[in-house]
Amino acid sequence: MLETVDLCVSYGAVKALNGMSLVVPRGEVTAVIGANGAGKSTLMRTLAGLVTLQSGQVLFDGVSVAGKKPEDIVRNGMALVPEGRSTIPELTIEENLRLGGLWRSKTDRGASKDLVFDLFPILGQRASMRADTLSGGERQQLAIGRALMSDPRCLLLDEPSLGLAPLIVTQILELVSRLATETNLAVLLVEQNAVTALRVATTGVVLNLGEVVKSGPAAEIASDEELRHAYLGY
Amino acid sequence: MTNFIDFLLGGFSNGAVIALMALALVMVWRSTRMVNFAQVGQAMFTTYIALTIQQSTGNWLLALAVAMGAGLILGTIVFFLVIRPVKNSDTTGAIIATFGVLIALQAGAGMIWGGDPEGFLPPVSNAGLEFAGRIWPISLYDILVLAVTAALVIGLTLLFTRTSLGLSMRAAAFNPEVARLSGVRVNRMLITGWAIAGATGAVGGVLIAPVSTISPNSFDILLVFAFTAAVIGGLDSLIGAVTFGIGTGLVISLVSGYTDASNAPVVALVLLALNLLLKPDGVFSHHGSRSV
Ligand SMILES: Nc1ncnc2c1ncn2[C@@H]1O[C@H](COP(=O)(O)OP(=O)(O)OP(=O)(O)O)[C@@H](O)[C@H]1O
Ligand SMILES: [Mg+2]
Repeated sequence: MLETVDLCVSYGAVKALNGMSLVVPRGEVTAVIGANGAGKSTLMRTLAGLVTLQSGQVLFDGVSVAGKKPEDIVRNGMALVPEGRSTIPELTIEENLRLGGLWRSKTDRGASKDLVFDLFPILGQRASMRADTLSGGERQQLAIGRALMSDPRCLLLDEPSLGLAPLIVTQILELVSRLATETNLAVLLVEQNAVTALRVATTGVVLNLGEVVKSGPAAEIASDEELRHAYLGY
Repeated sequence: MTNFIDFLLGGFSNGAVIALMALALVMVWRSTRMVNFAQVGQAMFTTYIALTIQQSTGNWLLALAVAMGAGLILGTIVFFLVIRPVKNSDTTGAIIATFGVLIALQAGAGMIWGGDPEGFLPPVSNAGLEFAGRIWPISLYDILVLAVTAALVIGLTLLFTRTSLGLSMRAAAFNPEVARLSGVRVNRMLITGWAIAGATGAVGGVLIAPVSTISPNSFDILLVFAFTAAVIGGLDSLIGAVTFGIGTGLVISLVSGYTDASNAPVVALVLLALNLLLKPDGVFSHHGSRSV
């Protein structure tokens, strides 16, 4: 389980996160939704160790991981799929995947690779091709696959829908949601696209200007008209 | 025509050494996106160490191995000297610092080994081979140089394409953030890049020493040629460095053969200027713009 307590992050004078508390249980998807600039990516990058937090706590399975390096955080079981195309186009698909868990033993890596190829068969079929031959949706699958190669207990997804067709987004997110249930994985999904995110999530959290304005069962959040108008702009 | 072929043949082993030096520059570029002007100074220094071993033991292979080891260590030391103090600032400071290291290495070598040029005995004959009734401009030693270069290039290729370390280094070069998020200790990979560059340059130094002489400044000109080859090759392409390193060696040999050896650096600089005008990203580069 991942828990943040009173997380505060600033970029100079800009307060990006202002006392954010959140719980991400295992076995389900927790969706954080909010408009542009709400602080979603900042939250994810802070959890992954790319941004240093000003105050607050990050507890992963009860242990504080705040201030650790990104490479140690992923080795410790929390993997981030950052916003945008986070694959390395110059490497092959197989190399991109292998990169995700190089520190692990060959047998452990093999098991994760089988799981990824099961989940995203296209990656297995094209394993030896360069990653830049993939379409946007396939590259997002590769990015998620790379993160899964670390055998995470917690998966952080930063706006996987960016630039993808709604149908593909739904497909990918439903796979991730199934994976969460089946393998007891904690998934933190950050999205501007509230409808799709809340459909696969168990819990929804609405973020605005670095603060949580509402959290509760995803279905409840999805049907709250006022919330939608005020913070999600549709 | 015989002249042309002779000049061409005579350029290969020189080209191989330029290729190694260019490879070293490229490996540093791939790690930290900067040119290490101290690279030839490091090679000079490790070649002096090899010379000392060679003179005391007479064992060329041992001298080569020690030079490579010293190259690894010196590459690491220079990384910390140059990169650490100027961390988080622009790379311009670090590039200037590499000039400082070059001057320090040359001064240091002058104090330890003296400024006079010294000879380095080749392990095999450096006389032109006799074959089909004539003497060719290629010696047994040239063949050794080509063989050692080929072995090193193949070894490096295998390292980069077949091993976990190589994959980590490539990922760290292409996209440090994604590499870190994947668990790669990027800083360690950068140091490794500088260290391997140091060892590669060290091999180049030991190979060129018997056909030139060695003095604190004797490799300076090599920097001009290697830099030209590396830039034309695209600065981040290993294949480019090797191809244009050998190509530069052939051009130098032709220019020296038909005109005068002193014209070679000018020709190299003209090639460099033409390349920067016509194809500024280099021939083998698949990246966007770059700044030196
Ligand atoms: N590196 C940075 N330097 C300065 N300010 C930043 C930086 N990154 C983000 N910010 C600011 O912090 C705030 C939160 O940004 P963040 O990227 O976390 O938002 P987001 O919710 O992910 O937005 P989007 O939906 O557009 O991705 C914004 O006001 C943004 O301008
Ligand atoms: Mg964002």
